[in-house]
Amino acid sequence: MSGEAVVFWIFATLSVASAAVVVLARTLIYSAFALLATFFGVAGLYVLLGADFLAATQILIYVGGILVLLLFGVMLTHKIYDLDLRSGTIQLASGLIVAAGLFVILAATALKTEWPTLARAPAPTTAGIGRLFLSDYLLPFEAASVLLLVALMGAAMIVRRRRDA
Amino acid sequence: MIGLSHYLVVSAALFALGVLGLLSRRNAVHVLMSIELMLNAANVNLVAFSRYAAGNLGGQVFAVFVIVVAAAEVAVALAIVLTLYRLRRTPNLDDADILKG
Amino acid sequence: MDELTRSLAWFRPETALVAGLLLVVIVDSIGGAWRGPVMRLLTVLALALALGFALELQTEGAKASLFSGMLVIDPLSVAFKLVLIAAGLLTVLAFSFRNSRELHGLGQGELFALVLALVLSCLLLAAANDIVMLYLALEMVSITSYVMVAYLKGDRMSNEASLKYVLFGAASTGSMLYGFSLLYGLAGTTSMPGIQEYLAGGIPDANRFAVYAVTLLVLAGFGFKIAAVPFHFWCPDVYQGAPTPVTALLSVLPKAAGLAIALRFFYGTLSVPEAGPWDLAGSINWKALLMLVSVLTMTLGNVAALTQTNMKRLLAYSSIAHAGYLLMGIVALSENGARGLLVYLAAYLVMNLGAFLVVTLVHLHDGSFDLRDYPGLYRRAPLLTLAMAFFLLSLVGIPPFVGFLAKLYVFAAVIEQGMGIYATIGALNAAVAAYYYFGILKVMTIDPGNEDKPALELAFADQAWLAAFALANLVPLLFWDRIESWARGALVLYAGR
Repeated sequence: MSGEAVVFWIFATLSVASAAVVVLARTLIYSAFALLATFFGVAGLYVLLGADFLAATQILIYVGGILVLLLFGVMLTHKIYDLDLRSGTIQLASGLIVAAGLFVILAATALKTEWPTLARAPAPTTAGIGRLFLSDYLLPFEAASVLLLVALMGAAMIVRRRRDA
Repeated sequence: MIGLSHYLVVSAALFALGVLGLLSRRNAVHVLMSIELMLNAANVNLVAFSRYAAGNLGGQVFAVFVIVVAAAEVAVALAIVLTLYRLRRTPNLDDADILKG
Repeated sequence: MDELTRSLAWFRPETALVAGLLLVVIVDSIGGAWRGPVMRLLTVLALALALGFALELQTEGAKASLFSGMLVIDPLSVAFKLVLIAAGLLTVLAFSFRNSRELHGLGQGELFALVLALVLSCLLLAAANDIVMLYLALEMVSITSYVMVAYLKGDRMSNEASLKYVLFGAASTGSMLYGFSLLYGLAGTTSMPGIQEYLAGGIPDANRFAVYAVTLLVLAGFGFKIAAVPFHFWCPDVYQGAPTPVTALLSVLPKAAGLAIALRFFYGTLSVPEAGPWDLAGSINWKALLMLVSVLTMTLGNVAALTQTNMKRLLAYSSIAHAGYLLMGIVALSENGARGLLVYLAAYLVMNLGAFLVVTLVHLHDGSFDLRDYPGLYRRAPLLTLAMAFFLLSLVGIPPFVGFLAKLYVFAAVIEQGMGIYATIGALNAAVAAYYYFGILKVMTIDPGNEDKPALELAFADQAWLAAFALANLVPLLFWDRIESWARGALVLYAGR
């Protein structure tokens, strides 16, 4: 197997296996750390796909931001004195059937379809993405700032304790 | 030889696992993590297509926006989970049974 | 740079809203006891200005693609924008922190900013021409809604409702995103006209299944926004848990924006001009699928509403049912259908806001949302009951009210396409709905009870708004020809894109 294939299988297995742990683990802490591994696996896949900016963004934001936030959420919402951190009963059987069916359908669709073959040679993407943000995708870029303002204001307002008049 | 289909199958697996977590988990934070898996699956699709099928950076730009949206969503969701926890002392979904019918 | 300045000229309504949003945030952070009324004034001004700009755009008859193809401006999108901005403006004017007991004592600045952000996001969604913009706008609408629903943070029910809303919404839009990723892979571009070109070029048989998968996944996202079956589960809980002014807003804005983009997506992107301009790619019977969704939606909404006693939940199921009727406009897949959709949305706006205003006022004075506390209102608040009668009759679809006009349009569009049975089911549903709408009226007027309670002293502003909404339900029939030409004008140019 070529080097690329080896690296791909490592990251692919890491991503999918840890995703399975996220979904099936008994406690939130195990799931959170498995999610960390999933994010790293996906970042590795991005690197293989030549998306250097995206891989860095994935680690910075998903791991450094979202996962840390999730960990805060996990830490702040369980009883500190309760050692049994079980997360409740799991309706596993029906979920497994649906998920398995979904996987089969999606994978079959992906394999059967004749995708176009305009390949993009791996090259540094940061400049290109930056240029797109300021030209073609300018409006979504600016609209995202409104989104973040709303989310920031909203989250702060929801969590704030004191009643404001 | 690693090609497009390899990445698509990986993303299909991630998406299916996300759906599994969505359907079978009781705790809100667990469900949130499953949704993050679904979003990551879509992102892998976008980047893989950008590399192999579309030949442009549109997919990668889309993926960046997805990450931004995911961050905003998680922030709001966790704010609500925290408030709910303060009021009820449990973020379990099944316990959220006041609203029925 | 030229593209930017050219696009900004057409972007006036949204610019007004952004300016208003920023000013409200700044005023709120400056502080001072006077900021409440000032922020309300700013919000109303921003919305009124946006409405003025939109009317200007309508008379200009603009047709252009903005911001490098991210947005499109054409008479159809401007017509939707008018409805959306009007909905926001009317809600901010009619509902206030004074006449909504739930909002008493809560921070005002954030809510006004959120209303402006919601209207802005809905405008962006209704005009989106690129799947990146579509996804971002949809999520903006969603996240703003989540925050607004969570406004009553001290109330457990409200928090649970907003949590369910967030998780359900994130899952639906996540599925839609997966569909979009596949669509990007197939077409190689994120622009909707580009996708349409790809689909029009003929898809090999091997790719048909991918297109089906895409459409089903995308339907998850749209269905969630419109609250169509089976993506409606969040609706009753959220409508009940949110403060009523927010519920009134959410019953119109996201639904209208979701329908606008669904119309644009199914008509503009997925349709292929083969045997007529409405042939959906893939040649699967999408009409049947959408029809099924529509029928299930209206039936479930109406049947579930029959047993509700909480007014907000009842109106939530009523909203779900109306989404079913609204979908008829999309299923008809014709110009008449799109026209019916527009007229129905405008009518739905005044019917629904009026009904929610009544519910809010009763709660303000009596403290209850329960229908069982409504007897005797005929005696205690005659104006309110009369207005409610107008709204309920309009919701049933009885002439001469505007609700009848709306149903006439969509039913006619459907019948014209030869779907007589579908229209019959719609009519049957309207009859079922009449049972619970008339039931409310009966409770308010005929049922005995509450004889010892005093008359409701409504503020002048509340009385004025009740009268205004009631008239808005009755008067349009006199101007039917103007409405007809407005709706027709909104379509003629779009079809010739």
